[in-house]
Amino acid sequence: MTLAACAALLIGIFAYVFYVPRAAEEQHQKTRLEFLRERKDVVYENLRDLNFEYSAGKYLEEEYLAQRALMENEAAEILAEMEILETMNNTNSPIV
Amino acid sequence: MPTFGSFALLLALVLCAYNFIAGAIALRQMAVGHGAQHAPERLAETARRAGIASFIAVTAAAFALVWCSFTNDFSVAYILHHSNRALPGAYKFSALWSGQEGSLLLWAWLLAAYGFVLRLRHKVDVKLTAYASTILAGIQVFFVLLLNFAAPPFALVQGAAPADGFGLNPLLQYPEMVIHPPMLYLGYVGFSVPFAFALGALMMRYPGEKWIHITRRWTMVTWLFLTCGIFLGAHWAYSVLGWGGYWGWDPVENASLMPWLTGTAFLHSVMMQEKRGMMKTWNVWLIFTTFLLTMLGTDLTRSGLVSSVHAFAQSSIGDWFHAFMFLVLAVCLYTYFRQRDHLQVEHHLESLVSRESSFLFNNLVLLAACFTILWGTLFPIISEYVQGSKVTVGAPFYNRVALPIGLFLLFLTGIGPVLAWRSTSFKSIRRNFILPTIVGVVTAVALMLLGIHPWQDQGTFYSLVAFSLAAMVTTAIFSEFLRGARVIQRHTGKNIVASMLQLTHRNTRRYGGYIVHLGVVIIVIGIAGGAFNQSKEQEMGYHDTMTLGPYRLVCQSYTQDSNANYDSEYALLDVYKGNQFIGRMAPERRFYHASEQTSTMVANHSTLERDLYVVYEGRSQETDKPIIKVFINPLVAWIWIGVMVIVFGTLVALTPNLEAAMVARRGHSPGVIAADSKASHAAGGGQG
Repeated sequence: MTLAACAALLIGIFAYVFYVPRAAEEQHQKTRLEFLRERKDVVYENLRDLNFEYSAGKYLEEEYLAQRALMENEAAEILAEMEILETMNNTNSPIV
Repeated sequence: MPTFGSFALLLALVLCAYNFIAGAIALRQMAVGHGAQHAPERLAETARRAGIASFIAVTAAAFALVWCSFTNDFSVAYILHHSNRALPGAYKFSALWSGQEGSLLLWAWLLAAYGFVLRLRHKVDVKLTAYASTILAGIQVFFVLLLNFAAPPFALVQGAAPADGFGLNPLLQYPEMVIHPPMLYLGYVGFSVPFAFALGALMMRYPGEKWIHITRRWTMVTWLFLTCGIFLGAHWAYSVLGWGGYWGWDPVENASLMPWLTGTAFLHSVMMQEKRGMMKTWNVWLIFTTFLLTMLGTDLTRSGLVSSVHAFAQSSIGDWFHAFMFLVLAVCLYTYFRQRDHLQVEHHLESLVSRESSFLFNNLVLLAACFTILWGTLFPIISEYVQGSKVTVGAPFYNRVALPIGLFLLFLTGIGPVLAWRSTSFKSIRRNFILPTIVGVVTAVALMLLGIHPWQDQGTFYSLVAFSLAAMVTTAIFSEFLRGARVIQRHTGKNIVASMLQLTHRNTRRYGGYIVHLGVVIIVIGIAGGAFNQSKEQEMGYHDTMTLGPYRLVCQSYTQDSNANYDSEYALLDVYKGNQFIGRMAPERRFYHASEQTSTMVANHSTLERDLYVVYEGRSQETDKPIIKVFINPLVAWIWIGVMVIVFGTLVALTPNLEAAMVARRGHSPGVIAADSKASHAAGGGQG
């Protein structure tokens, strides 16, 4: 009985581990564009937070405007780089 | 069944080793671009599957041990030493973690379970998860190696199996002991996941902070388990050890608190990395340290490195742990020095008065607390090494250092949320702090008028400061909710309560965090009550009376009882407050047959105001009357309520942020539109 249980466990696990479908999940290195998309989301979220906190009275107006300008510049730089990279990708991509 | 269990553990070792080696080879091949087109991916997939299968193998082993316990298989040495026939079913189950080998098996099983979930969810980022899975497999190899060679749970007894076992340690025969160790271990083990992701991200020079986003829920869940584990342990100590307290700065208690402190610091500082790309090196080292401290905690509990009431197993596995911790530290240092240029920050601290600086202070204070506790815990070992004799550091040392640190942390809890990101002007501080400060000062004055005089003694002074800060922080938290809710109210026209709910839903992480802070405030109030504890000990025969504080206890009888598991002695005490009958209490002392050990069952009448805590200390040798010790512990219930609030707050923080998802679907917010237009302009300029 114990032997049968051990054998069943061994065979089941062996089959599961080594019976791998041909197309295994591809591992790719994250691109600069993907990284910038993530950064963009973060900066947008920071902007939303800033707007909300200003509405809630946590910032004085001059502080808010200065912070907002800084964040918008950061977002603008990210978007600009994204646009350049996307244009380059589109130019280099093969015509289907 | 023992043979099956041993086989399953051996199989688990092979699977974990395969996951580790094949995973590492596949990652190396992909990094240098060797191998046929899909060969490394297929190899990595077999490694991942081996990791998943290791969970099945370790589960089979854990099942085998529980089966042995329930079937009273005393041929297994572990079951012989930690169970007996008369042991109730729940404790037969908890026997799994009541000794060295079983608790290591629990560690390995929980680690395999976390790994199972991580490997199933690999599509979130296949490459990063492959790194994390391989690192996790390395940790699994260590624990399964221990189980196979250093502390095998299925070792058989020599000769014929005895008819009955030696029983479970009486201190462990308490309902909380069925859930406290697994909770604590879930916390300890869980930190392996963010550790594996952090190390993996550093090894592969992962661009961006998405690894933090992936591990955020893991870290919070782990932190929650550790918090629950620590407080369940405190409640168990309060209910079972019978000394009237819940925290004695015992080395094993300290061992659980240290990773909690660094884990808490990590949870805070990681927000700075996510939002502002700051403190990357700091965060990486915080999680490395937290993981190493969980290892140290397990080592202290299980190796007998320091003596403790909580250390239930002592053996020579300490050398294995020390070697493993040294190896982990070496790997962390090597990876850090090789890849440290990857941890360049994107922003620097702009002002000393900002949300970032409050997080930084919070981190420094938490680390100072952690270092103090580590120093005190390891002092007996250090002193023995230096001067040849063990010098133990007691509660007064910890209290002297921890109380001011804790109060400063509470202060930061209050001011942090009120400060704005990047920088806060003096005008803004004045506007946001005026109300909490007034409330704090008024509370202090009111308490002094009520008779809490800070000049009486140090305990009273700290209590007064704690109550005042608690009032200040609570006001700050509620103002934050109210301020945010008013904005929602202006836009939606909803009432203030509905607006608060929507506000919390809109940013669950932030407002869940504030609820957690509120829980911490409630706990601090409970702890501050300790300055006003009272106690009295007395022999109590039939109809003898004892008065303490507002309570009068009358002994109605004292007697003995017996069952298959233990004999017990207890007293029946009627409790009055003034002339009002409160109830009958029955403090008890048990003698367990199998282990021939005694334990205390405290009787506790708990209210929000105070606990009436009664201990049966035994019989007087001269008079044969029971010796009863009574404690009045003010505000202790607040501690347990505070923990429940923390659990609730963490669950809120774990809830998906619906409003953010809606905004993301809509695409833009007003501020974002401005950024977009500016960005288009910048992009155009760049191209032109």
